[in-house]
Amino acid sequence: MSSTLTRPKSLFKVQFIISYILLMASYNVFAQRQEFSITLKDHLFYPAEMTIPANKKIKLIIDNQDDSVEEFDSFSLNREKVLFPKQKATIYIGPLSPGRYDFFGEYHPDSARGVIIVSEADLPIPAIKEVDNAN
Amino acid sequence: MFTFLRQRFLIDTDISLISSVLCSVLVFSNIVFSNIALADGIVVDKVYHPYVLPNEREVEWRMLAQRENGVSNDLAQRFAYGQSVADNLMLEFYLIGERDSNDNFTLSAYEIEARWMMTEQGQYWADWGMLFEVEKEHQENNWEVTSGVIMEKEFGRTSLTLNAFLIYEWGDTIDDEMETEFRLQYRFRHLEQFQPAIEVYSGENYLGIGPAFMGVQRFSGQKQLKWEAAFITGVNSESQGHILRLAIEYEF
Repeated sequence: MSSTLTRPKSLFKVQFIISYILLMASYNVFAQRQEFSITLKDHLFYPAEMTIPANKKIKLIIDNQDDSVEEFDSFSLNREKVLFPKQKATIYIGPLSPGRYDFFGEYHPDSARGVIIVSEADLPIPAIKEVDNAN
Repeated sequence: MFTFLRQRFLIDTDISLISSVLCSVLVFSNIVFSNIALADGIVVDKVYHPYVLPNEREVEWRMLAQRENGVSNDLAQRFAYGQSVADNLMLEFYLIGERDSNDNFTLSAYEIEARWMMTEQGQYWADWGMLFEVEKEHQENNWEVTSGVIMEKEFGRTSLTLNAFLIYEWGDTIDDEMETEFRLQYRFRHLEQFQPAIEVYSGENYLGIGPAFMGVQRFSGQKQLKWEAAFITGVNSESQGHILRLAIEYEF
């Protein structure tokens, strides 16, 4: 059987690389997102309830002030994120339709609980910053 | 790739079709419909997601059974241990067993796999990752190297996941060849424990589609049990029979 190596694989490679670059270039790297903040202290989220705008992607920064690791978890938000002690973590959420989206800390699910309310009503706009890769 | 399904087909590659594909969307459709690969195995396996969590460890079992109209009744299983070695990099080690023609189930290959989460979930239009695998057959000096792109995009309560792989294999008893594989999963996040999906597999002259079901049961901390099941049916003239795949993964 002949091998595909005899075929113009360089052509395929070029096509693959170009396609991949175009895929990556499709990122909206200049987008701006609203930022929201939550603090985790003594295994409690503050605020435990937060309202964000509907149909918009937002940036949620969680400051874990505890001495232990926690994991942010939400099936409805489709997010899991490890929160290292004494560090901030960034979670990108949305765009979401209006509703309530529960979240909790996997290591302290009885105390570390909260809800994000997605509303179509006009909300006070927090600081808007350019997207960065902070984690 | 499971080796028990090694078949040989010589496919005329439509170079003009391949060379015409240069835009991002078409890279996936190109891999689906082009016939660049020489058929050599089966493409039905797990659809990979681009996400990695720090401190994640897992053991995994996968089973693949194929029945082809009385022609074959094949079985393969994988046992794996995986661990994240960085915030965005997961390594997994596999032992692959297959049932041979004498109905003996033996170790057939081993594999190391690296999954790299390239972007933060939700940060961009879609989430991206890459996969790298090296596999060696146990009894033969046959090797396979895989690299590929993993993409996932949320649409409300549904998620579309695409895998596009480029595979090169060589060895003493197989021909050197380059292959492509494509996997698609469109999942409805209905309940944590029950998420129906549809899966499509293409490559090596195979095209299969079928329903899938998956879920996760959480325990304390990072401990959770994930399960997947899919029943894939070949839908083109080269793809006959049905394939059942199961996977159970325990993360801790």
